[in-house]
Amino acid sequence: MSHSADEPAAGGGLLPRLGALRAALDEVDLPLELPGADAVRAEARALAGQLDDYVLPRLRSIEAPLLVVVGGSTGAGKSTLLNSLVRARVSASGVLRPTTRAPVLAHAPADAAWFTGPRVLPGLPRETGQPGSPGSPGSLALVASPAVPAGLALLDAPDIDSVVSANRELAAQLLAAADLWVFVTTAARYADAVPWSLLREASGRSAAVAVVLDRVPPEAQQEVAEHLAAMLRDEGLGDAPLFVIAEGGVHDGLLDEDAVAPVRGWLHELAGDAAARAAVVRRTLHGALAAYPERVGRLATGLAAQAAAGEALQAAAAEPYAAATDRVDAALEDGSLLRGEVLARWQEIVGTGELLRHLESRLGRVRDRVVAAVRGRPAPGEELTVALESGVEALVLAEADRAAEQAVAAWRAQPGGAQLLEAAGPGLGHASAQLRPAAQRTVREWQGGLLELVREEGAGRKATARVLSYGVNGAGLVVMVAVFASTGGLTGGELLVASGTSVVGQKLLEALLGDEAVRRLAAKARADLRSRLDSLLEGERERFTALVPEGLGERGATVAERLRGEAAAVARELRSAR
Amino acid sequence: MSGLLATRRRTRELPERLSALDAVVTAAEGRVRPELVDAARGVLEQAGQRMRLSPGSTVVALAGGTGSGKSSLFNALSGSALSTVGVRRPTTSDTHACVWPPADAGPLLDWLGVARRHVVPEAEADPALHGLVLLDLPDYDSTEARHRREAERLVGMVDILVWVVDPQKYADAALHERYLSRLRAHRAVTLLVLNQADLLTPDAVEACVADLHRLLKADGLGAAPVLALSARTGAGLPELRGVLSAAVAKRAAATERLSADVDAVVDRLAGELAEPADGQALGTVGRKERARLREALALAAGVPVIEDAVRRASLARTVAATGWPFTRWIGRLRRDPLRRLHLEAPAGRSSLPPPSPVARAGVYGAVRGVVDAASHGLPEPWARAVASAAQSSEADLDDALDSAVTSADLPDTRRVRLWERGVRLLQLALAAVALAGVAWLCALFVVAWAQLPDPPTPDVGPLALPTVLLLGGALLGLAVAGLSRVVGRAAARRAARRVGAELRRRVDDVADAHVLEPVKDELQRYVAAREALRRAG
Ligand SMILES: Nc1nc2c(ncn2[C@@H]2O[C@H](COP(=O)(O)OP(=O)(O)OP(=O)(O)O)[C@@H](O)[C@H]2O)c(=O)[nH]1
Ligand SMILES: Nc1nc2c(ncn2[C@@H]2O[C@H](COP(=O)(O)OP(=O)(O)OP(=O)(O)O)[C@@H](O)[C@H]2O)c(=O)[nH]1
Ligand SMILES: [Mg+2]
Ligand SMILES: [Mg+2]
Repeated sequence: MSHSADEPAAGGGLLPRLGALRAALDEVDLPLELPGADAVRAEARALAGQLDDYVLPRLRSIEAPLLVVVGGSTGAGKSTLLNSLVRARVSASGVLRPTTRAPVLAHAPADAAWFTGPRVLPGLPRETGQPGSPGSPGSLALVASPAVPAGLALLDAPDIDSVVSANRELAAQLLAAADLWVFVTTAARYADAVPWSLLREASGRSAAVAVVLDRVPPEAQQEVAEHLAAMLRDEGLGDAPLFVIAEGGVHDGLLDEDAVAPVRGWLHELAGDAAARAAVVRRTLHGALAAYPERVGRLATGLAAQAAAGEALQAAAAEPYAAATDRVDAALEDGSLLRGEVLARWQEIVGTGELLRHLESRLGRVRDRVVAAVRGRPAPGEELTVALESGVEALVLAEADRAAEQAVAAWRAQPGGAQLLEAAGPGLGHASAQLRPAAQRTVREWQGGLLELVREEGAGRKATARVLSYGVNGAGLVVMVAVFASTGGLTGGELLVASGTSVVGQKLLEALLGDEAVRRLAAKARADLRSRLDSLLEGERERFTALVPEGLGERGATVAERLRGEAAAVARELRSAR
Repeated sequence: MSGLLATRRRTRELPERLSALDAVVTAAEGRVRPELVDAARGVLEQAGQRMRLSPGSTVVALAGGTGSGKSSLFNALSGSALSTVGVRRPTTSDTHACVWPPADAGPLLDWLGVARRHVVPEAEADPALHGLVLLDLPDYDSTEARHRREAERLVGMVDILVWVVDPQKYADAALHERYLSRLRAHRAVTLLVLNQADLLTPDAVEACVADLHRLLKADGLGAAPVLALSARTGAGLPELRGVLSAAVAKRAAATERLSADVDAVVDRLAGELAEPADGQALGTVGRKERARLREALALAAGVPVIEDAVRRASLARTVAATGWPFTRWIGRLRRDPLRRLHLEAPAGRSSLPPPSPVARAGVYGAVRGVVDAASHGLPEPWARAVASAAQSSEADLDDALDSAVTSADLPDTRRVRLWERGVRLLQLALAAVALAGVAWLCALFVVAWAQLPDPPTPDVGPLALPTVLLLGGALLGLAVAGLSRVVGRAAARRAARRVGAELRRRVDDVADAHVLEPVKDELQRYVAAREALRRAG
């Protein structure tokens, strides 16, 4: 235990770098359900887990005992092997698969201090109950055994391939935290695909691995051992020690002493040889660290995918709303809003001389009211206002509805979109419920603001005064008609239908306010209405865009940058340590 | 304890169920995930082929992980050493078949794609197993991906699945997650064999079997029987043979398996053809939505504009025909408001203004209302199909409405009515009377000017007759004109209403053809798919 701070692997800059990397991992946020996002999340968890469970503790105390994890398929005899090695039944074994649910760690009594605290595997609460009793899942049972040599601890891991998925996850976590993996398999299992995918992965990060082939029928010993050795060589694990334990039966839950003697001998030798132990530590640690740039690269790719998807979703929502805004603008611009109902009302006013009367006499307003009361319907001026109001409202509502429908369809086709829609609940496919009242309010506010506009426009004090003298309703009507009638967007037919009355109206207004002023005022009022309506639609669009987490792209890019930087720094430190 | 083929659910109805499934596919294609349609097509195709190939034979496959003892069991059952039993894992890489008489399983095995065959000689065959075709599959869990593909292919085709497990592997995720939990529909054709029981104490065997039952229940295969046996010692083999011969004797395994395939795909389809939510009746577009749609289309088609034009044209004609002859020529100077719309031109477009954005918005909202009402409670893809059925022709609506309006039979507003003719004659007569009065008065004036003797002029009351003629003719003419105007206004309103009704009828036809019918078709498709699914399930 002499190699401490001067150990090359513990080289000065490495720890802070890895600490920073660990901190950056906490920032990794992958909120969108993209294809492959689950794998990236799992990778982030695995990376953080390995740093906490293994890399950081190992670097902080490079002299700590070697953690030897006994791992493999269910029923392979891992618990039986551990029990036989420590010559006591410290981990339950049984015929029901899977047996082991909570890992058991056997260590030399002298090494107890290394394991009782949260130094390694901080996520697993320690349990020191009755040895051999099944530990509670999620905990780590500690057993001090004189049969374990100091400088090395044996951990019995749950299986890697049974139906109990918690076991598989825990096993993966433990294998990532191992200095040395003792892979236990049997003559029936040694060609199973699941353990081989893990072996391949371990070989890829050049982790230290030893293989125990259990339960080999004596007559098959040579053939099976040779086959397995060849498979190991093919996967780049040719240098892994291979121990063959012949089928000799289990007595009192333990294997025959001479059957496990080679394994025990090898472990004792390793425990006694500080240099060999350090080599194992270095090999696995370097292997794990060397994989970091690539693993971090996968995270960065995942983060970039999230940013891109978030942006695509925003764009997919923005597009139909932009089109809706354009259509509303066009309708305001070309005067076609004046068609239909509005036109009819306009005709009524101008055709009957209502407008003039309306404008010219205060008496007219009184009379209007009398007529309205007698006829049972509002005066034409009011009807025109209502028609305009409901026209604008209907237009905005329909466009918002259409845009919502299209945005939902676009999101459904986008990766990650369907899940956001799901989470937002129903109703996104239509205009929001408050749009109708909001549109009504907007039009009314706009009308209310028209007078202000007239005053601002100051179309000659006299004209302004003249207009204002018609009272709020009359003046509002004047400008409103100017806005919609001066655009001349009506077709010839319609103008004829209107018997030229809108032209008459226009002339009237120009006479009243002055040609230039009417044009300017109309343009201004129209722009005002347009911007009000546009912001209504913008509010509608935000129902979608607010679902995409804010700043997803920037945050992701920052975190990815940090991750990449730290991983590269780790790689540099590693190279200079070599 | 045989649960194999115990249920015999509806196997007799398999052909009907298959044709119902076919109907589901036809109706639901494009409205459910494409892989489901493919799966259903696969089932239909496979069923058709299997039923043509010795449907009475029973194809039993031994499936399992490497080393569990499939080949040992195969050899033990067939009383041979056909399949290699090895210590090197995996051993078997090609499927082996063993055929019991009366065997012409050739075409069947060709279809299954099994090349290595062995026929049990008539003399040696156990009569109870006649009709059995036993397959030894490669493993599904070794590093050899090819083995897994072959095993998976045959697991999808054979009649009865015997899963051979051993004490080490019976709880492997590879078995339960990849296969058993996905084969819950096939519980009646599934059997589990816990091999290598000789390695365990009897108590341990019992415990393992109980544990396996627990796992099977979790997989949804609670009914599948479990047999513990040893291919090495032969213990438990007679029971397996008994179960297999009972299944073979029923000659129903093929239909049972296909039936299970149909069940499985029907289950998956049912997920996408769910009941309408909150039990609402489907397939109706309410009166309210229909009325709103028709009103919106009428507005977009310009029906009110035409109505108005007809009214005014009709009134103008009445005035022209029956007005006071001395002033009515003024009206003729105005253009006929109806003719200005050019509705009579059948080929070209009318001069009706295109629908205003507001009218268009109204149409969109009304169509959306129809879609929302119709698709309430429908599964998402169907709701989308309804929407696109309703909106697909939105672009054609303008033209459809225009041609509906132009092809309408509008009354000739210029043709003078009979009563108007009468009134015109009357007006002429009255005018003549007035003119006669004028002439008479002029004559009297000339006589007076020439200082000739006054001719005798009859008096009517205080006035002279010519004055009465003039005033009477003129006043009566004006009165008749006023009266006719009143009558003409009513007639004009009536004509406008008639035209409006006719136009609205046509617009309603457009609504039906372009929006309501397509929606109805789509809903009927959904109902048909659900109905067929019910028959298939
Ligand atoms: N015959 C024989 N049986 C063994 C041998 N090793 C283990 N067994 C038995 O196999 C069964 C499973 O052994 P365990 O040690 O519990 O296996 P494990 O790998 O810990 O299994 P899990 O805890 O489920 O992952 C027990 O019944 C053991 O008695 C062996 O070498 N020979
Ligand atoms: N003890 C015992 N061993 C058996 C039994 N059945 C098979 N074995 C042994 O298990 C090993 C594998 O048997 P196979 O029949 O080749 O297994 P398999 O399922 O065909 O394996 P693959 O062909 O690789 O998929 C052989 O060594 C057999 O002797 C049994 O019931 N008891
Ligand atoms: Mg164990
Ligand atoms: Mg085999």
